[in-house]
Amino acid sequence: MLNFVLRRVVNMMVLLVVVSFVGFWIIQLPPGSILDVQMQRLRAQGGNLPESQIEALRQRYGVDDPFLVQYWKWISRSLQGDFGTSFQTDQSVAERIFNRLGISIGLSLTALLFTWLVSIPIGVYSATHRYTWPDYVITLAQFFGLSIPGFLLALVLLIVASQLWDQPIGGLFSTQFADAPWSIAKVVDFIQHIWIAVIVLAVGATAGLTRVMRANLLDVLNMQYIQTARAKGLTEAVVIWKHAVRNAIHPLVMSLGTLLPALVVGEALIAIILSMPTIGPLYLDALRSQDMYLAGTILVMLSALLLIGNLLADLLLAWVDPRVRLD
Amino acid sequence: MSDSATTQRSAAGAIVTEDDVIRVEDLRLNFYTALGVVRALNGVTFNIPRGKVLGVVGESGCGKSQTGLAIMQLTPAAGRYEAGQVLFRESSEQPAVNLLQYERNSAEMREIRGNNISMIFQEPMTSLNPCYTVGAQIEEAILLHQTKDKAEAQQRAVEILRKVGMPNPERIAVSYPHQLSGGMRQRAMIAMVLSCNPTLLIADEPTTALDVTTEAQILDLMRELQREIGTSIMFITHNLGVVAQMCDEVAVMYLGRIVERATVEDIFYDPKHPYTIMLLRSIPRLGVNRAMRLESIQGSVPDPYSQVTGCPFHERCPSAMPGICDTIMPEEIIVAGSQTHTVRCHLYT
Repeated sequence: MLNFVLRRVVNMMVLLVVVSFVGFWIIQLPPGSILDVQMQRLRAQGGNLPESQIEALRQRYGVDDPFLVQYWKWISRSLQGDFGTSFQTDQSVAERIFNRLGISIGLSLTALLFTWLVSIPIGVYSATHRYTWPDYVITLAQFFGLSIPGFLLALVLLIVASQLWDQPIGGLFSTQFADAPWSIAKVVDFIQHIWIAVIVLAVGATAGLTRVMRANLLDVLNMQYIQTARAKGLTEAVVIWKHAVRNAIHPLVMSLGTLLPALVVGEALIAIILSMPTIGPLYLDALRSQDMYLAGTILVMLSALLLIGNLLADLLLAWVDPRVRLD
Repeated sequence: MSDSATTQRSAAGAIVTEDDVIRVEDLRLNFYTALGVVRALNGVTFNIPRGKVLGVVGESGCGKSQTGLAIMQLTPAAGRYEAGQVLFRESSEQPAVNLLQYERNSAEMREIRGNNISMIFQEPMTSLNPCYTVGAQIEEAILLHQTKDKAEAQQRAVEILRKVGMPNPERIAVSYPHQLSGGMRQRAMIAMVLSCNPTLLIADEPTTALDVTTEAQILDLMRELQREIGTSIMFITHNLGVVAQMCDEVAVMYLGRIVERATVEDIFYDPKHPYTIMLLRSIPRLGVNRAMRLESIQGSVPDPYSQVTGCPFHERCPSAMPGICDTIMPEEIIVAGSQTHTVRCHLYT
């Protein structure tokens, strides 16, 4: 098993290098460069730019260097922990990303936890009470959850929360808490700000996974070993939770691998609506302005998250199901 | 083995002995499905004398598996017991208890399952949970019914694995089902059901999915353990060869009813019901002219949603008597000159 993990980690490294190369190349594909974006902005502000200034910018950004040279500049320094400077703001890339990364991952993990805590029990209930009216209600709710676009739900919840419940909305904190030290009041304020985001992020996945859980459990409940467990004299609760759920949970575990990065990126639109300072909007902005170092670093980081998520999912699956263990 | 001491007739008219482990009387089971009502069991009546092996044979869909499941009240949720009794007598000293008086998942029923009555299923490949070790699954039953001590349960599980002829039982106990072959898994299943020394073992085609060599081994093992522990067995099968090897008595089922019931000798040498006779003719035998075709039973089992009037077998029966067999349901009668042989057929009234 240790061998397997080590091999996987080495594979991940190689894959990350490939992803960074291809990613960097794709980011550069659209015509124009950060220079054009910057020049446009400066022109809009103060008319013409002197040729010398353009030349200075050209030198600084290295936009005329061949692709391989640009890539090498970025990747060699990245390996030493220096991801370069964002062209747009002159801040270091690391500073811009890591500010937001914590919030993004925190938000995603909360949404993930929410998804699991809701979809497993509801899926189990729905399967064990198939074709009863609560099952129909759950099924209907699932279809709503799956088909309502996240941004729409975000807008609706924003309006409801602000108009009907008089809740603070948008951003992470109310203004009076923004720079205040952590306190219970600040935590409450924080929760009031992010619950909409958590729900909106989780609702689609929750609906989908509940459905998967229900279908899988129904399959497993028809298996012979469930009959065996019942014939042993176990209570129905033990039969379901010990013998059936463990065999039905595979797709949920596997979805963990893809869910993590999907949640981190998937929130872009929602984060924009809710004005959350997360990775999503930053990534979008970096791509639009061809801020190569920033975009490239985010891309590689998301890939790393995907790979780590997959590795974790595989390990978790091996723990759940002995058949996939490699000895 | 002494022959089932004295036989007599119960109130329902069935043959019973003084000491039956289980006595099923007029059991009726219906399934309510979206397509209609399936009448799975239409008054099943039989007994299993203590320490005997009763073979239950019949075609697919005749209700033999459902009879086994009904005794343990493990019938699928759509099924409803419409009438009848399942009288279980744990030992000769105790009075018989009607199991159907208990709720399906009541504590009483769960105490009986796996402890007093156990069941082995047809598919050894899927009847063990892939997520837990063989040992853990055996211990689960022991911990539930026999002892609360984990170390003792563990030890007992290894012992019982040794008893069913597992090589290296300590290693098998920590193996997962997918690491064992089909025959080994069925041995493990037998170990599991025997771990609590059940009074009655219901074996639902336990060797159907195995190859013949393994089948012979498993049957030997069951026979041996049955002699040793004295468990009564209800052996459900469609294989008459296996019946000859395993059983003391045989009940032939057709469409949710027992149509003939006799000792294994009587079934093979003096079958009465036309259905039994045709079942026996459809077995290939050594020494019979190769050019001769095996006989098959004409037609097929009637649609389960329909209700047949008269004898349920009359449409396929070569000796059906028009006017009688298709209108009147034959009663169960004792064959002349026998104490134990009963048949449901108008030919013998």
